[in-house]
Formats: sequence, C-alpha cells, structure tokens
Amino acid sequence: MVTFKLNGKTVQGDEGQYILQVAEKYGVDIPTLCHHKALEPAGMCRLCTVELFDGRRTRFVTACNYPIWEGMEVSTDSEMVHDGRKLIVEMLLSRCPEVPLIQNLAQGYGISEPRFKKEEDTCILCGLCTRVCERMGANAISLTGRGVEMKVDTPFGLNTEACLACGACASVCPTGHITLERVNQKHARIAAGLIPSEYDVGLNGRKAVYVPYAQAVPNTPVIDRDVCMHFKTGGCEICAEFCGVDAIDYTMEDEIVELDVGSIILAPGFEPFDPSAFDSYNYINHANVITSMEMERILSASGPFEGHLIRPSDHKEPKKIAWFQCVGSRDVNRCDNSYCSSVCCMYAIKEAVITKEHAGDDVDCAIFFMDMRTHGKDFERFYDKAREKEGVRFIRSRVHTIDSIPGSDDLSLKYVLDDGQMVTETFDMVVLSVGLQTPPEVVELAKKLDIELTAGNFCKTPTFDPVVTSRPGIFVCGAFQGPKDIPQAVVDSSAAAAAAGEILVSARHSNTKEKEVIPETNVINERPRIGVFVCRCGTNIAGVVNVPAVAEYAKSLPYVTYTTDNLYSCSQDTQEVMTAIIKKEKLNRVVVAACTPKTHEPLFQETLVNAGLNKYLFEMCNIRNQDSWVHKTTPDLATEKAKDLVRMAVSKVGLMEPLKETAFEVNQNALIIGGGVAGLTVAKSLGRQGYQTHIVEKGDRLGGQAEKLYRTADGETVKPKLRQLIDEITKNDNITIHLDTELTDVDGFVGNFKSTLSRNGSGNDDETVIEHGVAVIATGGKPYTPSEYHYGEDSRIMTSLMLDQKIMEGDSDLKNLDTAVFIQCVGSRQPDRPYCSRVCCTHSIDSALTLKEMNPDMNIYILYRDIRTYGEREYLYKEARDKGVIFIRYSLDAKPIVEVEDGQLDIELTDPILDRPVKISAGLLCLATAVIPNQDEKLARMFKVSVNDDGFFVERHAKLGPSEFATDGVYLCGLAHYPKPVDESVVQGRAVASRAVTLLAKDKIYTSGQVAETDPAICSACNVCVSVCPYGAPSLTPEDARFFPGTAEINPVLCKGCGLCVASCRSGAIHLKGFDNDQIFAQIFSLDQAVGL
Amino acid sequence: MSEWKPKIVAFLCNWCSYGAADLAGVSRMEYPPYIRVIRIPCAGRMDPKFALAALREGADGVWVSG
Amino acid sequence: MAHMGVESERIHFSWVSSAESTKFVRVVNEVTEAVRALGPNRRFVKSHGLDRQSYDEKAA
Repeated sequence: MVTFKLNGKTVQGDEGQYILQVAEKYGVDIPTLCHHKALEPAGMCRLCTVELFDGRRTRFVTACNYPIWEGMEVSTDSEMVHDGRKLIVEMLLSRCPEVPLIQNLAQGYGISEPRFKKEEDTCILCGLCTRVCERMGANAISLTGRGVEMKVDTPFGLNTEACLACGACASVCPTGHITLERVNQKHARIAAGLIPSEYDVGLNGRKAVYVPYAQAVPNTPVIDRDVCMHFKTGGCEICAEFCGVDAIDYTMEDEIVELDVGSIILAPGFEPFDPSAFDSYNYINHANVITSMEMERILSASGPFEGHLIRPSDHKEPKKIAWFQCVGSRDVNRCDNSYCSSVCCMYAIKEAVITKEHAGDDVDCAIFFMDMRTHGKDFERFYDKAREKEGVRFIRSRVHTIDSIPGSDDLSLKYVLDDGQMVTETFDMVVLSVGLQTPPEVVELAKKLDIELTAGNFCKTPTFDPVVTSRPGIFVCGAFQGPKDIPQAVVDSSAAAAAAGEILVSARHSNTKEKEVIPETNVINERPRIGVFVCRCGTNIAGVVNVPAVAEYAKSLPYVTYTTDNLYSCSQDTQEVMTAIIKKEKLNRVVVAACTPKTHEPLFQETLVNAGLNKYLFEMCNIRNQDSWVHKTTPDLATEKAKDLVRMAVSKVGLMEPLKETAFEVNQNALIIGGGVAGLTVAKSLGRQGYQTHIVEKGDRLGGQAEKLYRTADGETVKPKLRQLIDEITKNDNITIHLDTELTDVDGFVGNFKSTLSRNGSGNDDETVIEHGVAVIATGGKPYTPSEYHYGEDSRIMTSLMLDQKIMEGDSDLKNLDTAVFIQCVGSRQPDRPYCSRVCCTHSIDSALTLKEMNPDMNIYILYRDIRTYGEREYLYKEARDKGVIFIRYSLDAKPIVEVEDGQLDIELTDPILDRPVKISAGLLCLATAVIPNQDEKLARMFKVSVNDDGFFVERHAKLGPSEFATDGVYLCGLAHYPKPVDESVVQGRAVASRAVTLLAKDKIYTSGQVAETDPAICSACNVCVSVCPYGAPSLTPEDARFFPGTAEINPVLCKGCGLCVASCRSGAIHLKGFDNDQIFAQIFSLDQAVGL
Repeated sequence: MSEWKPKIVAFLCNWCSYGAADLAGVSRMEYPPYIRVIRIPCAGRMDPKFALAALREGADGVWVSG
Repeated sequence: MAHMGVESERIHFSWVSSAESTKFVRVVNEVTEAVRALGPNRRFVKSHGLDRQSYDEKAA
C-alpha cells in the first residue's frame, strides 16, 4: 500500500498504480482525453495534468501515467492546474473548433472563442487510435510527421493490408475523426463495417464478443472467432483483462463429445427464404424492400429502432407499406419451393396490424396475396378484424414489377386486378413475406442420418406417426417436419418426446441421482437475525451504486446482524461462502441485493436450503436491472434507491415465515374422454409407457370420425391404420375401454381425480368410480349438417364424408359421372361460424383426384373462396389443376346458387375472371361442410375448463400450451381443440401423452409455498373468492363439516399464488403466504425515510 | 432544498411490468430514479389499502402496473 | 378514492407486458412527470417519524 495526499486528504493506492486510478477510486474527477482504461496511458493530451509537491518543490505531472509514491502530495484542481488545463482546451478548440466534445469542454472552462487562429481539423492527436491499433496487433497506423505536420496515418498514406479493418480505432476515437468510412477510404484494403447482428437480420451491428440475443440460453457472451482480433493477430485480449472472474479462455477449442443415447430427436428448424437471387423483387438494390424477418425486428421494441416504425433508407416514417405473399413459396418457376409455407399469410396480417398499432391508422397497409390462408385457431377472426376494423387492404394479385422511382426512395408497383385492370401504385416500403425452407446443412444432416425427405426437403413421416422418421429411434419435430407455426411446433415437440419416451420406457429412472437433503433448522419464535448481502456484479452494480455504502447502511437497520458485499454473489465460490456465513452467523433471514429475482431468486433460495434454512426466509432486491443499469447518470440517486430497496426488503424479510411445500401423491392412472383417433393415440402412448389408462367412449365403437374417412393427404387409406391402432389398444392390458359410457361426475384435482362413469341407458345401477391422476378431453367433432344448397333434398347432393363413404363402398355410379361439383366453406368462414375448418380444401381436392383416377374425363369443378392447401398439401392442388380440375372462386356475398329441377342439378355462380355467370349441370354436388365441435358444457364445468365462442375448448396458451388446459392435470387434443386432419390429431394425442407423463412420472407433486390460505374463523362464507379464482382453487366446506361448515378453503395444489382472492376478500380472511398484507405493508411503512425526505 | 424529488411507489406484477422493468435494465434504458418497486405476484393482489398506506407514508404518487 | 379526498392524479394504473420495456420506460416518465407536476403530497401523510413541519420545510 502506498499512502499519499490527494487534495489534502490521505489516500491509499497499490504499488504501481497511477494517480488517475487512485483518484478515480476516491471519486476525484480528473478530466482526460487520451486516456482509455484498456490501454497503457501515454500522457499525450496533457489535460490530466495535476500539481505534485514532492516535499521540496512543486511540479506538474500527467495523472494518467505518473506512478504514485509514498508521501507525495497531489492537488488536482489548484488554480495553476485549472489555468493550465484551460489553455490546453483553448488550443484544442482553435485546432478543432467543430468537434462537440471539445466545444463542451471549452464551455466548461468558460471559453467561447479561442484567441488563436482557428483551423479545421478534427483530430486532437491523442494517439488512442494508434495505441489501440498496436494493441490489436495490427500496427497499421501511427502518428506520422513531426510538429505541425503530425497526423495519424498509414505508412506513406497508402491503403494497406496491415489494416485488418477491425474498426477499433473508430471505436476509441473521442472526436469522431476516425470513422469506418475513413478506414475504408484511407487505411484498409478490405472493407470495414459493422459486424451485422444475426438477430437483427443485419439491421444493427454487434460486437465480436456478444450475447446473441436477450433471451439466449445460456445467457452468456460468446466470442466470434471469425472477427475477433485476438484470433487474427494474437493481440488485444482486452476482454480477458476486464473480466472480473477470469471466464475468458482463448485456448478453448471445439471438442467432439460422444453421447450414448437411445433415441434422437431432430429439431433443426428452418431458414427464411433468401430473396436476394431474384432481381424482380429488387431486394438487393433497394434498401426499402425488406424481408418479413427484418420487419419483425423493426417492429420489435427491442429491435434496431426500438419499435419505432421507420424505413431503412432514410429513417423516414413510412406512410404506405405493401406486403408480398408467397415469396419463396408456391412458386415452381423461380425458386422450386412449390409448397405453401403455411405461416406467412397470418404473420403478414399480424405485422400489418402491429404496424397500425405502432404508427397510427393513417399508415396504409396493403397485402398482395393469391389465397389468404388463415386456417389456424382464431386466425380467421383476426383476418376479418384486420380487414374490416383495422382497414388493412387485401389485394388478390401477384405484383410483377417493383421499380425504383428516380430521385426518391419510394417504390412503384405494377399489378393487375381480377378484371384485368392494370394499376400502378407508389409505396414507401415493401415487405417480402418470405417462406420457410430447410437449410442445406440440414439436408446434409438428413443424408448422414439416412432419413428420407419429402419433395420439399422436409422430413418424411407417416400420417399415423407424424413425428417418426424413416429410421427407427430417430424422431422429428417442428418446421423440419413441414412448414408450420408455433402451436403446431410445440405440439410436435411434445409428441416427439413421448415417442422417444415410449421406446425408452425400460430405461426410465435408471440414471437418476438422489439429491442430498439438508435438514431444516427451526427458526420459529427466534428473533430475526438478518443477513444482507450486497452484490457488486463486477462493475455492473458497483460502477454506479456505492455498494460499500449500501452494505454499511444495511448494518444500521433493525435486526440486521450481518452485512457484506460480494464481487459476484452468484458465483459458485461465493455461494459456498454465503452458506458458511449463514451457518456461522446463525442467520435466520437473508436479503440479497443484486440483479433480479426473476433470474436469480431460485439460485439464492438453493443457497439457503444448503445452509439448512427454509427457502422462503429470503427476499431479493433488485439493484441492478432496476437500478444501476437504468440510472447510470445519477449515481447518488441510484445509491439512495438501493438503500431504500434494501430497507424495504429488510423490513419485509423480518416478517417472512418458513413455508411448507405440501407433497401430494399422484395417482398413476389416466382417464381419456373420447375414443377417436386423438384419444386412442393418447391411450396408445400412455399404455406403451406402462400407465393404466381408461378410455371412455359415448358411442358403441372406437374410431370416431376417422371411421368415415377414405384417405389422407399423403394418400394413405385410413381404415387399415385405424384398425391397427384399435387392435393395439384392445390388446394392451394397461388400457381399459368403456364403451357406451359417459362421465357424470368429477371430483378432486390434479393427481387425485375421482370420476363417476355411467353406462348409457342402464340407469344409476351401473356406475363405476375411477380414480385417476390426469384427464384428457378428446371429445372430437362432427360435420355440420347444411341447411342450404338443397342439402337433403336430392341424393346427388352430399357432404364430403358421404362421398368418402361412396368411394370406400366402391360405388360404381361414381365412375360414370359426367360432371362433379364441390362447394367449399359450407358453414365455415361466415358470420355465424367465423372460423376456417382447415381440412375441407385438401379433402375436396383429394376427392376430386380420386374421381379423376376413376374417370380422367370427368368434369370437376371446385367452387372456393380461398384454397387452403397449406404445407405440402399444396402439391395436391397443383396436381388437381394439372389434371384439369377447374377452380372457380366465389365470394361470401355471391354464393353459388343450386337448383334442382326436372331431374336437373344446376349450380350457378359468377366467374370473377371472366366476370360473367357460369352454369354447371352436375351429376354430383359435394358440400365441403364445416367441422363443428361436440360441444359439452357439462364436461367443461366438471373439469373447470372453458369453451370458446365456436364451442371448441380453450387451451392454456394459444401458442405455448396448445395441448393442455389452464386447469392442472387436464389435457385436450383432436377436434375438441380445433378442426384438424388425421395426422395433426395423432400428433396432438401423442403430445398430450407427453404432457401427462411429465406429471405421472412423479410419485408426488409439491405445492408452492406461496399460496393463499383462509382463516375460517373470520371467513363470512360470501363465496367471492370461489367466483374470482381463475384456477378453481377455493371452495366452500360442506354444510355438515365438523369444523367451520360452509367457510372457504383453498386447495394449495391448484392455487397459483396470484392473490386475487386476497384482494377481493371482504373479511380479510385470506392470507397470501410470502406476499401477505403485513409483509407488503412493512415495505410500504419503511418508505417514510426514503429519498427527498 | 435544491430540487424536490418526488417519491413514487410502484406496485408491479411479477409476470408483466416487473419483467418489463428488468428488460429495460437489460436494454440499458434510462428513466428517472424516483420509483420504489414493490413486487406483487399479480396485479390482482393489489389492494386499495396499499395505495392509501403508501400515500400516508408520504409517497407522492402510486403506480400500479399489471 | 377521490371521494375520500385522495387526489386521483396521484394514483396511476397501466398494463405493460414483460416484453414492452420501451413502454415501461415511457410510463415511468409519464408517471414521474405527472407526480412532479402535482408537487409534494400533503394530504394523509402521517405525522410521526418526521414531524409535519420539518416535512413541509423539506418538501418546500
């Protein structure tokens, strides 16, 4: 330690430190220009000059590179020093009068005009650039020339190969003299530029050391070895120097890890189609033609423009935006991706609606499309709303040219309307709705793994096993199985997990390690002994908040017996130290002031548990994410805030009590309601995994609607596969089938249901009660019975399923038909049933193809509104057109008119292209009827789950929880969720099995400690809590209960700890453990010493 | 006193606004340092009494965000 | 609340999703500005801890 005097105060620093470093530590400000923490000081700018008294005389030295010594006396702000600095600044201002940094400095010293002759330079010759260049190991630039001729340059002023265009010089230049453009012009032979951020699709730059995106897992930075200067020259190493925990190791190498596994799941995803190759879109040449991925980032609050909608070329707010659909999809001519990418219509509408939300209604959003494909759950409603309420324009046309408009950044679009009219319209910006495709490296991987691909390079899977690849043991999920949106991918992933689980069932629990349980210390009735740990988080917190002061302050708070500050509280060694401290100091409450409880609370709770404390005797306060990171310009106020937060946390934690996490046994049986394809698949998977499974089927046979289907989009005939499935179910001893049976009562909750089954028509005598841990609702759907198009009046008019029946029966009349007509959207996509039934387009087209196989000369017309053959179903659409099936579009306000007269069956409608009426005489009219759910309000009530306006059950989360309900332990699949083809029902059934197993695999489930509890002595039995709880946790005890009859009690298994009931309780009878009134009041009551007072 | 500093108590839902506040930190945004956050499990936990108590304790403003 | 004499401008409500950090910052600014415009809270403040006079002095 070296002791010396700084501005009259005695201070200490380490041997070898410079004055500036010690001054910084003691909060003494010394101005600098040529100083940079990462670089050796050079004393170039002289601005940090201070006065040094060595015992005999006074000298002036530069603080940045003058080492401290024992007994010296330094004065940083004497009059002489001030005058000296002022002169330096004045001279710099005359050299660089236009540099804002120097202007500000000058203003600070009260200089408005320099007394010297003004020059037009922008370089202050601080040498930061040359020093950083040297450090980068490039040595491309240096200070050349002497005296007034001195400047930063490359040898002989030539662009050189020594310059690696890393941009370090530009990043340290304090005046803006060196920019990347300057590097390109004067220094480098290779182009310098920002490293494009992959996450922001190149709209933003990133560093060579970076976290790929905010939600990345793991959330630790990586070094991009391709651009990192250390890996090019061996220089730099600045990051290693600054890392407080020595986490950077340049010697790490890629390693090959070998794993012994029983199954492989492929989830490699997709890549967005790259439109650069097509000059027609002008994507490469025009900054304002962007892809939908770029639009996503532009609209994102965490994106390059922070959610502010501006166009790339000039950062102007666009007023007219066009979306082009099917870029890289449904296109054989240019990109060979002839499939439909399934998701682009919906995301384009979403982007258009968000655009209007961000930028106001006066932004014109126009979507150019071929067929609008909003076949997902609740998607059609969104489309209707976008069109009718939000004013998004939908134009059915493929734009053929985008032209730049000379002298502006706008774009001119030419397109043709239905009636042949050519339109030219100007837009500010064009978004290309790019499709999904399998990346070439995944195609390579597939080859290596020897699995079969489809024509569109997706993984080939059978209809009745949609996650199973052609190679046993290898499963697939997500967009590699076929282009799909999030809910479908989530369903897939669960199903793939179940498929893997089925074959690995014998290995289950064979590799489990038991965790050592540390006995819990009893702290009840003990006086609180609170320990406060304040984290520095390196410099993340300590760089702004005065951490030692906060820790010191915490000491003064009531019941606090121990405080300290840690460099990194979350590091492994600190955790161990904390455990030791808790034990040694006999702490019984802990406060950690650090990053945020959202990410680190569980970790610190674990520390408590390891020290034998109940994990709820803990409170965390957020002094990083919500303090040091957001208030860096006001360190004093940030420190005050940190103290307040610590005080509030301390007062709360004193009132924390040890909470119990109650264990419940999980009944290992499953109950499935519905014996259709979806329900049977759940049973198959659970049965294979060894769980006792009951199928309850209302009807007298298994199979559901699949019984009536002829074949699937893949051309597989349904019957034999269905037989095979039913066979396996029947033979599996784990599965019990209850036919002609209905559910009459359900009691209990997750893990412990009790259901009463009743055989139809047999009265109350034949009731069985089944105990089960999970329940699956797979009640299916049925075809809508049309009330239009003369249905039921003529045997030639039939539904799709009736036609399938005829085909399966081998009806010879079909072959002799002269003309067949299909009408789409019968009962779907209309005001009383505003959803798309998803399956009917593919079904009709496949039926049309079957008829064509029977009789290639048959005239077949499909009357449609939008053809929705999503994914690789699109091939069928193309095949049908190739084989001469005629598609005629109609609109909702001009439906086809069917007439049955004198044995004639005539269908009349207006062809939009010819713009004239067409009359077709048909021998068969097939109505593609809507799929409607088997609505069951009673069942919904019994399981406390909800049903939407269309009668389909409502899942936990539309995107992330598609196969489960908000009620724990209850799942849904198949048509009860939404209309879907066989393969999607099968995959969702398997997904349900997977979700259910996550619960069944545990013998016990633990409730959270932070749940609500009633005090029956105060409860007034008003029933409000029962009605407000979204999870059905509270209930009233029976009137004949022995204690407190009729009062509310809360099931801790179902309680999610939201506190809604607590706030609504009029009697104050409900307490939320961990967030109880007295605890929150304690936080409020400790406010009164807060800032400003 | 140079400048009066308001004191605002913020009751933030753990799942929504509290997360947004964390994200604002991750994005290194800046905002005035006068709010004191009380984390609640859900905006439904909010009790009018909390707001009254905060005002009584001298808070100049109360902000509830779900 | 207004009936009880609470200045309703002092109490703010908002909905911010966990991804909307920009909105969060905007609302913090709005709330802070709104409260700043109102000036110190003088109603309902309890008097113990800090006596009323010194509070008012400080607040002024």
